[in-house]
Amino acid sequence: MPIWFELMILLLITYGVGIGIGWLLWGRGIVDDEGFEA
Amino acid sequence: MTIRPFLISIAGALLVAMIAFIGGTYSGGPMAAQMDRVAQAVVAKSGGAPIKARFTTRGGWPTRHPLLSGGEDVDEATRAKVAEAVASIPGVGGVSWADGSMVAESNVVPLTPMHCQEDVEALLQARTVRFEESSSAIDASSQELLDEVAAALRPCLGSIIAITGHTDSSGPEPGNLALSQLRALAVERALIDRGIPNDGLRARGMGSRVQVEGLLPTDPANRRIEFSVIATVPLAPTPVDTPGPR
Repeated sequence: MPIWFELMILLLITYGVGIGIGWLLWGRGIVDDEGFEA
Repeated sequence: MTIRPFLISIAGALLVAMIAFIGGTYSGGPMAAQMDRVAQAVVAKSGGAPIKARFTTRGGWPTRHPLLSGGEDVDEATRAKVAEAVASIPGVGGVSWADGSMVAESNVVPLTPMHCQEDVEALLQARTVRFEESSSAIDASSQELLDEVAAALRPCLGSIIAITGHTDSSGPEPGNLALSQLRALAVERALIDRGIPNDGLRARGMGSRVQVEGLLPTDPANRRIEFSVIATVPLAPTPVDTPGPR
C-alpha cells in the first residue's frame, strides 16, 4: 500500500470524526435561517 | 436541512484527500529511502547478506511495507531473523517475502500411517483364533495370539475396529450365522479384557457368506476371525495444544 494512500485514509477518517464531533456539538441546534422568509 | 452543508462536507473531504496525496507523494520518497538504508544495515547485521528489502510497490509508489527477496540459499532461521529485524525498524509496517511464503521448519515428527491392520493380518496369516468345537469359547492355545493382536491394535486406539466372525459352510446357515456372531463377540470381549476400549470395537458375524478365495466352502480354514480398521477418527487438539491469543 503506498504511503500517500495510507495517509489519505488516515486523514479522511480524522476529517470524518471531526465533522461528526462538530455536528454533535453545534450542528444539531442550528435554526435554518435560510428557509425563513420575513 | 439544505443541501449546502452536505456539499461543503464533500468538498472538504476532497480537499483533505488532495492534501494527503500531495503530502504523501512529497514525503513518501525520502521516508522510504531512509527506511531502505536502515534495512540494508539491519539485514547485513543479521547475516542475511543476499536478502534485499524493497520499499516500493509494484506501481513504483514508495511504501512502508517492504518486500523481501533473495536469500533462497539462506537457512530458514536466518530468514526469520532478517524478517523480524526489518519489521522492528521504526515506521516499517508488514514484511512479506517475494516467494509468497516463509517455509518454516517444524519440530513435529512427521506422522507415519498406522499399520495396525497390516500387523494384525500378518499375525493371523500363519495362526488363527481357535474355538472349541461348535462353541464360542476361545481355545486356551489362542490366548497368547489374542495378547499379540491386542498389542498390534493398540496404536489404532481412536479408530473403529471391526471384528468379523466367519464359518465354513457345514451345518445350517442360521446356526453358522449365530455361531460366527458369538465368536466375534467372544473375541471382542477378550480384547476389552486386554485393555482395548469397548467403543472402538464392532463385532459381527457373517456366517459362511464370505469364503476365503481359492478354498472350498466346506474347508475348515474358512472358520476365522478377521480384523479391519473401518474408520479413523482424526485427533482433535486438546485445549492445552491450542495456542492462546497473542
